[in-house]
Amino acid sequence: MDVALKIWRYDPESGERVLRAYEVDAPEWACLLDVLDLIKDKHDGTLAYRKSCRMMICGSCGMRMDGRAVLACKERMKPLVDAGHVPVISAMGNMPVLKDLVVDMAPFWSKIRAVKPWLDPGYDEVAEKERIVSQQQMNAIHKESLCIMCGCCVSECNSMESDPEFLGPAALAKGFRFVGDVRDHADVARLNELNEEHGIWDCTRCYFCNERCPKGVDPRDAIAKLGAESIRQNVDHDMGAKHAKWFVKSAETTGWLRETELVPKTQGVVSAVKQVGFALNLAKHGKVPPPFPPHVAKDVKEARALRDLVRMQGREGAAGIVQGEHALAQIEHVLDADPDSAPASRIAPEKAGGKSGGD
Amino acid sequence: MDAKHDVLVIGAGCAGMRAAIEAHDAGADVALVSKIHPTRSHSGAAEGGINAALGNASEDSPEEHAFDTVKGSDYLGDQDAIEILCDEAPDDVYQLENWGAVFSRTEEGRIAQRPFGAAGEPRTAYAADITGHVLVHVLYEQVMKRNLTVYEEFFVWKLVEHDGRCQGVIAWNLLDGGLTTIGAKTVILATGGAGRLYTGTTNAYACTGDGMAQALQLGIALKDMEMMQFHPTTLAPTGVLITEGCRGEGAYLLNSEDDRFLKRYAPNAMELASRDVISRAEQTEIDEGRGVDGNVLLDLRHLGAEKILERLHGTRELSMVFAGVDPINEPIPVRPGAHYHMGGVDTDVWGRTTLEGLYAAGECACVSVHGANRLGGNALMETITYGKRAGAHAAEWALTNTTVEVPASAAADAERELNELLDRRDGERPWSIRNELAETMHENFGVFRREEQMQRQGELVDELRERYERVVVDDKGQVFNNDLTQALELGFLLDLASCMIVAGIERKESRGAHARPYDFPDRDDENYLRHTIVRWVEGAPKLEWKPVKLTKWQPMERKY
Amino acid sequence: MAATETKRVAYYKGCLASLSAKELDTSTQALAPKLGLELDELESVTCCGAGDIHEAEPDYYLHLNARILAYAEQTGADTLMTICNVCTLNLRQANWQLKNDDNLRARVSQNLETVGSPPYGGTVEVKHLLWLIAEGDGYELLKQVAHKGLKGLKVAPFYGCQILRPSKILGFEDPDRPWSLEAIIEACGGEPIDYPAKIKCCGFPIIQAREETALGELIQPIEQASEAGADAIVTPCPLCHLSLDAWQSKLKKATGKDFQMPILHLSQLIGVAAGLEESELKFKRHVVSVEPVVTKLEA
Repeated sequence: MDVALKIWRYDPESGERVLRAYEVDAPEWACLLDVLDLIKDKHDGTLAYRKSCRMMICGSCGMRMDGRAVLACKERMKPLVDAGHVPVISAMGNMPVLKDLVVDMAPFWSKIRAVKPWLDPGYDEVAEKERIVSQQQMNAIHKESLCIMCGCCVSECNSMESDPEFLGPAALAKGFRFVGDVRDHADVARLNELNEEHGIWDCTRCYFCNERCPKGVDPRDAIAKLGAESIRQNVDHDMGAKHAKWFVKSAETTGWLRETELVPKTQGVVSAVKQVGFALNLAKHGKVPPPFPPHVAKDVKEARALRDLVRMQGREGAAGIVQGEHALAQIEHVLDADPDSAPASRIAPEKAGGKSGGD
Repeated sequence: MDAKHDVLVIGAGCAGMRAAIEAHDAGADVALVSKIHPTRSHSGAAEGGINAALGNASEDSPEEHAFDTVKGSDYLGDQDAIEILCDEAPDDVYQLENWGAVFSRTEEGRIAQRPFGAAGEPRTAYAADITGHVLVHVLYEQVMKRNLTVYEEFFVWKLVEHDGRCQGVIAWNLLDGGLTTIGAKTVILATGGAGRLYTGTTNAYACTGDGMAQALQLGIALKDMEMMQFHPTTLAPTGVLITEGCRGEGAYLLNSEDDRFLKRYAPNAMELASRDVISRAEQTEIDEGRGVDGNVLLDLRHLGAEKILERLHGTRELSMVFAGVDPINEPIPVRPGAHYHMGGVDTDVWGRTTLEGLYAAGECACVSVHGANRLGGNALMETITYGKRAGAHAAEWALTNTTVEVPASAAADAERELNELLDRRDGERPWSIRNELAETMHENFGVFRREEQMQRQGELVDELRERYERVVVDDKGQVFNNDLTQALELGFLLDLASCMIVAGIERKESRGAHARPYDFPDRDDENYLRHTIVRWVEGAPKLEWKPVKLTKWQPMERKY
Repeated sequence: MAATETKRVAYYKGCLASLSAKELDTSTQALAPKLGLELDELESVTCCGAGDIHEAEPDYYLHLNARILAYAEQTGADTLMTICNVCTLNLRQANWQLKNDDNLRARVSQNLETVGSPPYGGTVEVKHLLWLIAEGDGYELLKQVAHKGLKGLKVAPFYGCQILRPSKILGFEDPDRPWSLEAIIEACGGEPIDYPAKIKCCGFPIIQAREETALGELIQPIEQASEAGADAIVTPCPLCHLSLDAWQSKLKKATGKDFQMPILHLSQLIGVAAGLEESELKFKRHVVSVEPVVTKLEA
């Protein structure tokens, strides 16, 4: 089949950045990576990109297709060709571009190293045999252990785009791989570090990482698990943690969110005072509901009782998220079997909404 | 010299990283060099598991493991090396778990073990079907913990021999360009296999046999080069691996008549017979017209969605993306693909090669623990156990020897040779030579081999070598020039192909992965219970023989 | 124009629509009958927990959402309608987890019954108002209802995050090339404005804990929509609305740019095209004045 695509080329030696069009004859089973190989072999050997396993396990070939990070070896070209779509290929985002589709992964790796990504069992000697750990305990970190360090999650991370020092989804997911590993005994130390600036509470919950991850790691959920463990272990000094805890308090007292008190509870009274001007402006428009009388939901007693009840059932902290993963793992299986329930095709030209998908 | 170290490990897959960790812990100044980031190494693509007689699934012993390995090797494996592997395996696996490897667990919370090909007991310890991935990551974590120096994306091109020792390497710096000379008291090759010699291969693009070819250039012996394992379950046309673990979990192999054909080839072990036996069976079925579009069918449906989603989710993903098939609902079309190179640099049980200071471990080495055919799960085990041993020995040697010297001429010569290649304007692009090599190897040196075909292949390779003299590189730049490194990799493949064919022609019997059903269908222990040894002498491969070490087991008829 | 067929739905308005974004509730309630929707408002419910309870006490979060679903089921309707991105994600995620895990469902449902809530049966589907009217019968009705029309008003759609991602849970449209808001804008006689940041994050979840980072996100849709010539931005999420509207003034402080970009809730956009009154639309509650839009439409 005839495959046409455009690639953003960047030559570091001349500084030139230019969008080039290519067309090659590729087999029907070809993925994006195969097409790049054909271009490099037959048209332009200077095209630079990383590759190795071509089977979605090494993590080398992360790049953007129409502005979205993908593994080049995973993207089949036939659906695009059939739809008459010409994709634009570019390097992953949030990382400096070295050449063409090759990014400098050094900042990525230094963030991984920053979470001390090795088991800390709390002792030095090697045990005689394996540590006894149940499959259920290991399942707590199953998803995080799938990570192939491809960088796709980092590419569109909205928080990192705004704050480049944000540790990011890959590093944080790796952090949970250890916090959630029952054999690791440095939980509290790890959580304290991850609760610092540019850590857990910097995540903006845009879910781009979950959406982009080609392996189903769901980094956002790993970050939520870290938050849950932090709060469970009373590592909760960060404003983000306080903000989250206030939601719980609201739910079990009035049911509805006690918005007015959210600012002082999150940011502390001093900071709340500094915000008075801003708050008054909001109040003018009725955006600051009076804290009194409290807006209480009907039958809120049930919500209170629920909290007391569930707290006794041993699913505290990250376990509360892990318990749902078994069901979520079924999603793709079920959706794939039922085409009607799958989201609209990636490329539905008659419906596609323009700019957000491109470069 | 741009840098120097006590121990320099080339290749940062399981063998390389394990060697480096061991050498570091023994007190040596260690560095790893890798043309790709360590976690991109092909060890990560291993799926099914790692063998050790842990005894968690059933009563087992290192001796049984050793016997299965010896028999599996079609008696070409060196039994002393095999015994060491099987004895040390359990502790080495426990070490990995201690470091945090995310193994699947039994009901009792111990490391889970599954049945695998040609194993008498279920001893393949696994992590769902991503065992290699899990091991690569736990090893890299330990590398980061020790803050080991890694020359990342440095392409080692040549080994440096000086004063009767290997004293370093010359590498092309992929990120910034230019040649770098790194001196080392000892060098450990851990560069993996050469599956890229074939079109249908489970191997990554990076598996181009670099270390073996570099050793060859120094006149070092390569052993059993003709022994390339064809994995029975790979996806057409690219060769993506579908793990043996599927069969370990109970999958069936069917032909076009819906028949579990292995009952005619391996009636006892059936789908869990040895890999060479199954590949031959499949190829025969396909050749005799009972294939489906050149494949046979791997049926997982009866395992059920739950089991597949839990233990074989990687397999399902691969099958869906690359074959368009959901194994929960349909069988997967598979066929034999080049997978693992039993042959490699000739080493002793400490990983020492015939050149002082140079070691080899993992797939690029040939101790030999796998002989003419490797058991599934033994490759990962070899990388760990022999990686560890090479690292330990290299460190010990390096710590008792003080000098490192790399003559300036080595770098100068390399520079000249490189510029000659880069300056060339007219010639052939590597891809046409590379594709022709892979296609013809697939056809003439695959599962079944014949004298005339092998001879012809030898001539073809010679022609390709001549064409390679005029190969041209498009990219003349410094930054990330993998057009250049890919051209150099092709050179390695061509050298290795020549060696493999010479060895294949001279072994006039069928043993393990070397199957000659048309001219030499039987195993001939009397004449061929010995290893092929190839050395590069005056620009061509020269063949010799080396006896196999027997300790406990005498060769017997091999049936599954 | 009266609707010929009404669909009764359980209506979960969420926290913001109850208090600081009351205008969202009033406009939705006024609009519903015109769109053929009979809203059965849920009262015995709580906050869905947003991302916060998910992160603080996830097991509790699951139960709160299960309870909302259980009460929705009690109304006998087959659909639970939401008007907030975050509520939609939370309720759909809880729904999926409970429907597809027998053990989990049994435990959670038992807990609900223990505290006096109805049990969870898995009989409702959660849908945002946006989905009910972007296509099919709902869309046809919408076209009829928007008779006053937007008169070519240039409207930039802002989807935000959690109505699109994770797509395996939301699944209504392509998360990278959504079209529903544009379709609605057009149906109302407006001109949809395209710009890259329409699917990016407004920063609301961290706007208090990490204001600077959040503002770095917030400026993108507002600036891009402004530069593309939009008269207003429309969003299906009251949390995004709060960021875009109430926090817009902070952008002036941080960047010196005073965008004065009116931000409309989805129900208000349709509402104004359908001729709803100010008492129902409550534009005056907005921090950034919607006057320019009103003036343009009255012209």
